[in-house]
Amino acid sequence: MKKQKSGSVWMILPLYIFTLVFVAGPLIYMVALSFAQPKAGHGVEWIFTLDNYRKILDPVYMKTFTGSFQLAVTSTIIICLIGYPFGYFMAKLSDKWKKRAMIFLMLPFWVNSLIRLYGWMIILQTKGLLNHVLKSLGLIEKPLRILYSYPAIVVGMTYVLVPFMILSVYSSAEKLDWSLVEAARDLGASPMKAFWTISFKLTLPGLLSGVILTFIPSMGLFFIADILGGNKIVLVGSLIQEQMTKGNNWPFAAALAVVLMILTTLMIMLYRKVTNAKELEGVG
Amino acid sequence: MKKLLVCALCAAMVVPALSVSVSADSKELVLYTWENMFPQEVLDGFEEETGIKVVYSNFDTDENMLEKLSMAKGGDYDIVVADDYIIETAIQEGLVEKLDTSKLSGWDNINPLYQGQFYDPNDEYTAPYGAGIPLIVYDPDMVDIDIKGYGDLWDESLEDSIALTANYRVINGITNLVLGQDFNDQNLDDIAKTGEKLLELAPNVRLIQDDNTQDSLLNGEASVAFLYTSQVTAALQENPDLKVVYPEEGLGFGVMGMFIPSEAPDKDEAYQFMDYILQPENAAKCFDYIGYYCTNKAADSLLENQNLVVPDSVTEGSAVENISTEAEEAYNKNWTEFKAACD
Repeated sequence: MKKQKSGSVWMILPLYIFTLVFVAGPLIYMVALSFAQPKAGHGVEWIFTLDNYRKILDPVYMKTFTGSFQLAVTSTIIICLIGYPFGYFMAKLSDKWKKRAMIFLMLPFWVNSLIRLYGWMIILQTKGLLNHVLKSLGLIEKPLRILYSYPAIVVGMTYVLVPFMILSVYSSAEKLDWSLVEAARDLGASPMKAFWTISFKLTLPGLLSGVILTFIPSMGLFFIADILGGNKIVLVGSLIQEQMTKGNNWPFAAALAVVLMILTTLMIMLYRKVTNAKELEGVG
Repeated sequence: MKKLLVCALCAAMVVPALSVSVSADSKELVLYTWENMFPQEVLDGFEEETGIKVVYSNFDTDENMLEKLSMAKGGDYDIVVADDYIIETAIQEGLVEKLDTSKLSGWDNINPLYQGQFYDPNDEYTAPYGAGIPLIVYDPDMVDIDIKGYGDLWDESLEDSIALTANYRVINGITNLVLGQDFNDQNLDDIAKTGEKLLELAPNVRLIQDDNTQDSLLNGEASVAFLYTSQVTAALQENPDLKVVYPEEGLGFGVMGMFIPSEAPDKDEAYQFMDYILQPENAAKCFDYIGYYCTNKAADSLLENQNLVVPDSVTEGSAVENISTEAEEAYNKNWTEFKAACD
């Protein structure tokens, strides 16, 4: 028995070392970096300062946080509206069709998301597919300028993140005991009432974990705003990336990243509080 | 058996040592730069003419080069080609040899437009080797005005139609030129003015992108674009009807320079190489190959791709210089504010 125990320690040890080296290490480095100063030209000077955090309070940079937040909220609402019904009705399909639907859902993941976004560019551009179709249907006369606009970014966000919502809702709707719904209907509840009082409440954890799974990444998915939005909306993610690469200001980038991480952690804590969930349900 | 093995091992140790001493006897030159910076034809031609073999050694970033060079204390490499701003640092750290231009018969071939720049104000250390010049390119069919300079980008008729590259120093720099300020202005009040002026440009911006920016001009998303050199070349290749503007306010550019490290082991060979590259016919082949602007006046007429020749009328230009951290941050803030205003 004792032998087995020590054996299991050896099994876990690599995992701990891995976590320490590749998760805790970079995190500590990032936090330390956020209190350092940028060196003229390039590089970092290890002199303690709070300037990087003070700079974030500047309205210019605060706006990137509110902008990111707004975009994340907008995308998440649209994702809910599409993803929830999709996942819910997918769970009602026959086994055979469930499998097929799942394959269709997973298929796009075989292609890199960047390449798929370039596909959207071809669809949305002025001389692109969408304008061509709308024009030949006689719905528009002048081509729409959708690419490099806010709606284009929301389309991209929704497209990339909606599968997470669908899967999360699907997995909680699948566990739903349909006989409860039948019982409600037998007792005289209208289909709507049965849905709201039973199905919706029981799939709510799935919906909420879907919200977390889409909301948090959408705070940081800057490449969508770059590719489909023409880089015109400054999100926290793109600001961090730019400070790292072009601005040569790693400490400021680190400070932004720390604040972003704190904000997302707060959101997850809020989610736990609201749902009383010990872990992300429907996913774990 | 054991003896045999020992003998074999000894032989194995001697052979490479022998080959090293052989190559040390024949003349050699270590060239240190990015990949694909010289056509093989030119390197072969140099070896044929002088009997000096060129050993091509690569770095991927300027910073890497500087680190290796300072570890070698200016030794190990015979000739280096790198970007302007890093050369400034290398000179400050004493890693660069002062040139004896009497050894360079082709020295006068250099286009003076690229001389006297910030990194080497008296042209004591470097010979320019190609320049990148962001320029305005536009589709005359889609633009009603005649664009002559940066200032025209602010024209109201260009609403939502300009594609910009994403280099914040360059975009701030050209705005400085429009305001009559220095391209690298470090005065914080001036930079604040630059920021305000930039905000006025925002409504005209269709997209900001660093990679393949020319595509937006070719597929009709934008009618005017501010492009890097390689993008200008690519755009013209696809659509020769596009118009290239050498802005009247002056150019903003980045220069690559060739220098000899202070402790270069084979300085004579390095001079020979530098002079070989300064000869017009060799220079022309090089610039055609790397696709950067020709910095050799005498080679201008020999270039196959005449788009890489700056017209004679252009006599002014400034490079992006290293500036104070405060100024850099202020420019950076202008840029973030500008981008957010573009939507």
